[in-house]
Amino acid sequence: MAAIIEMDGVSFSYGSDAAHALDNVSLTVEEGDFVGIIGPSGAGKSTLAACLSGAIPHHYTGELFGSTRVAGYDTCDVSLTDISRTVGSVAQDIDAQMVASIVEDEILFGLENFGVPHDQIEGRIAHTLETVGIADLRHREIATLSGGQKQKVAIAAILALEPRVLVLDEPTAALDPVSSSVVFETLSDINRRLGITVIVIEQKVALLSSHCSRIVVMDRGRIALTGTPHEVFGASERLRAIGVDSPRTVRISNSLAACGIAPDATPCLNVDEAYRLIAGLVKDLPHAASTPADAPAPSPHVSARPHAEGASPVLELTGAGYSYPNGGASVTDLAMCVYPGELVGIVGQNGAGKTTITKLLNGLIKPARGSVVVAGLDTRETPVSRIAAHVSTLFQNPDRQICKNTVLDEVAFGLELTGVDSASARESARDVIERFGLPATEAPFSLSRGQRQMVALAGVVVMEPEIVLLDEPTSGLDYRECMTVMETVRDMADHGCAVVMVCHDMEVVSDFAERIVVMANGRILDRGPARDLFADAALMDEASVTPPQVIELAARLARDVSPAFAGITEVSDIVRTVKELMGRA
Amino acid sequence: MLNVIDYVPGDTLLHRLNPVTKLALAAAIVAATFLADSYPALIALLALTLALAAYAGVFGRLARLLKVLVPIALIMLVLQTAFTRSGTPLIGFVTDEGLITGGKACLRLLGVALPLVLMLMVTKLNDLANACVEKLHIPYRYAFTFSTALRFVPVFSQEMNAIMEAQTARGVEYDTRNPFKKLKLMLPLCVPLLISSVSKTDACALAAEQRGFYLRTRESCYRRYPFAARDAVAFALAVALIVGGILL
Repeated sequence: MAAIIEMDGVSFSYGSDAAHALDNVSLTVEEGDFVGIIGPSGAGKSTLAACLSGAIPHHYTGELFGSTRVAGYDTCDVSLTDISRTVGSVAQDIDAQMVASIVEDEILFGLENFGVPHDQIEGRIAHTLETVGIADLRHREIATLSGGQKQKVAIAAILALEPRVLVLDEPTAALDPVSSSVVFETLSDINRRLGITVIVIEQKVALLSSHCSRIVVMDRGRIALTGTPHEVFGASERLRAIGVDSPRTVRISNSLAACGIAPDATPCLNVDEAYRLIAGLVKDLPHAASTPADAPAPSPHVSARPHAEGASPVLELTGAGYSYPNGGASVTDLAMCVYPGELVGIVGQNGAGKTTITKLLNGLIKPARGSVVVAGLDTRETPVSRIAAHVSTLFQNPDRQICKNTVLDEVAFGLELTGVDSASARESARDVIERFGLPATEAPFSLSRGQRQMVALAGVVVMEPEIVLLDEPTSGLDYRECMTVMETVRDMADHGCAVVMVCHDMEVVSDFAERIVVMANGRILDRGPARDLFADAALMDEASVTPPQVIELAARLARDVSPAFAGITEVSDIVRTVKELMGRA
Repeated sequence: MLNVIDYVPGDTLLHRLNPVTKLALAAAIVAATFLADSYPALIALLALTLALAAYAGVFGRLARLLKVLVPIALIMLVLQTAFTRSGTPLIGFVTDEGLITGGKACLRLLGVALPLVLMLMVTKLNDLANACVEKLHIPYRYAFTFSTALRFVPVFSQEMNAIMEAQTARGVEYDTRNPFKKLKLMLPLCVPLLISSVSKTDACALAAEQRGFYLRTRESCYRRYPFAARDAVAFALAVALIVGGILL
């Protein structure tokens, strides 16, 4: 097939003295490819997408070198509007790119502008909605749709224009796992059936590895690696150095390959491939079916902290219920206790009521029924501003939390609000800032997204709260930033702080939380040790939660191959068990 | 989250009128409210607006807006009575003339705000923009700017709510009962709100351009907004309202 996009030695900086956001990038995309772009934050992924869609040089100003050719035309020579006839792009902010309030009008907008003959318009709308699978939403108001539905509307609005290339910048950043994979399935379908080239920036490695035909890894403005998913994830050591996660199954196959047990040709991209690999290795061993499971080693992330035996809970929900006056995710009959030093994860689909729980816990909403007691205070009788001294919340979007002009002011602000005098607040703030390695005198808004999240986290740590609430602490962060945030939080738990986190990334939850609470439709389905609940397939199904890869793999292996795999939650335990079984052969 | 100016679907005569006609009708009620100078006329105009709202099935929504507007109107009444010194004194600083002009000012405030909001409730923003471009020959970019600004109101108010929640959870006393203290605490929030607004507006402009915004002409629109007999009737009513306003 012919190349539809050719970038040749492209460098770009957002100002003459700014660092290069792109540094001598050359990339060729063949028509019909499904390309995934991944890399740590600040690697230049969004800048690359802006070059492909023509936003650079036509919308953003800066210094551009090299050439980008789309369908044979240099993007500098044709207008942005003409480029977008070939390249349709879906921006990161779902709400901001909408131009209409009704789904149908949103799709009409582009069709009208590009002068599609009026007798073809009806057919195009109907066909596009059908392709994306949202024909039933045609007359709905966009404001009433869920995040996943909105994202599909945005894709449909571009797809209706029949572009040859679709460029998407983190289309699943605000979505739950189920909606994320639906969006990727839609993209795959468009790619396969209509032959449209898809270029997608994405942080979720499991999605990229199962849908893309080619992956481009970016690092500091350059292309570090490129190839098929199997080629790229085969180099997982290299990826780790760059700061890119690999699917857990890849870690298993690479570890097995490293110790010479498995052929090192192809890494396993998903649970099926890993299952086949391991089953093939151990199935025929005579004792495999009879070896019992060892007591699994505790997760290296979950530290063996002195679990508060007999201590009184620092947080207690009894029969708590709440429903929003305008409708929305209401919750009923919530009951849970959290003890000092515990790290509890709350999992469930969007709309299950997870965020409502966090708001009940920090007092932003008061329970209509039942009671919520945090750090000995009944939230119904205590103003939120007083609860804040005991409960700190790290929100999904740090920009809503940050309001001061320097990092130092920002971090000290929370302490000052609780009545600590300015001098000692700044003293403590300076300590934390130093520990985090943040620039104390800079304006928070001039920092990168990941650093802003760290500033917000520093503001939480400095409070030394009894309870920390995390609402999607890792979304929008790259792998390395995500680990830094989670390790900081785990440290706080080690020092006796109770941590409650709402998180979509089940790998993170299973790594760090010792207990989980599973929610669906505003109710708590079950709560208990993370490894037990994740292994409960019926429960996971009911809550529409995809269990972590390792747990799913271990459960399948334990069922069909050898009981030795039962109850494993860690990559290293799978590898060790395989080695032991092979060693005994 | 539902917003006061959101479109409420329906199939009443009011919904089916041409958007330009609805605009004219609302403008006529507003003009008549300014021109009329007697209590019966002002009250009749307000009653007409409320009756239309009830007919279109949006009375409940409009009542929610009234809850906000009535206190503002009462503050105006108090200010008017305080500053009007002519006429015979009734109780304390209140004079009869002050009460009369103040009362009228109150009714005018309601009479101006409600018809426009009612019009927005029964008209899709896109239809309004497209019909204005087709019938009134307004350049599309102005119509687009206007409809986008209105569409962003709920987006920004959600953003503002989220920011306030985040700040409250940090310990800023937005739950204080003192409104002046609350206002003072809200000022620092302008920074995060401004930053997110600028980035949203920029993203919106880029997205619109990438979907051929600059190619759009008056003929681009797929839907047509022809005037029907009912529109002629509504226009006659609008003229009658203005004439009535002048006479009464």
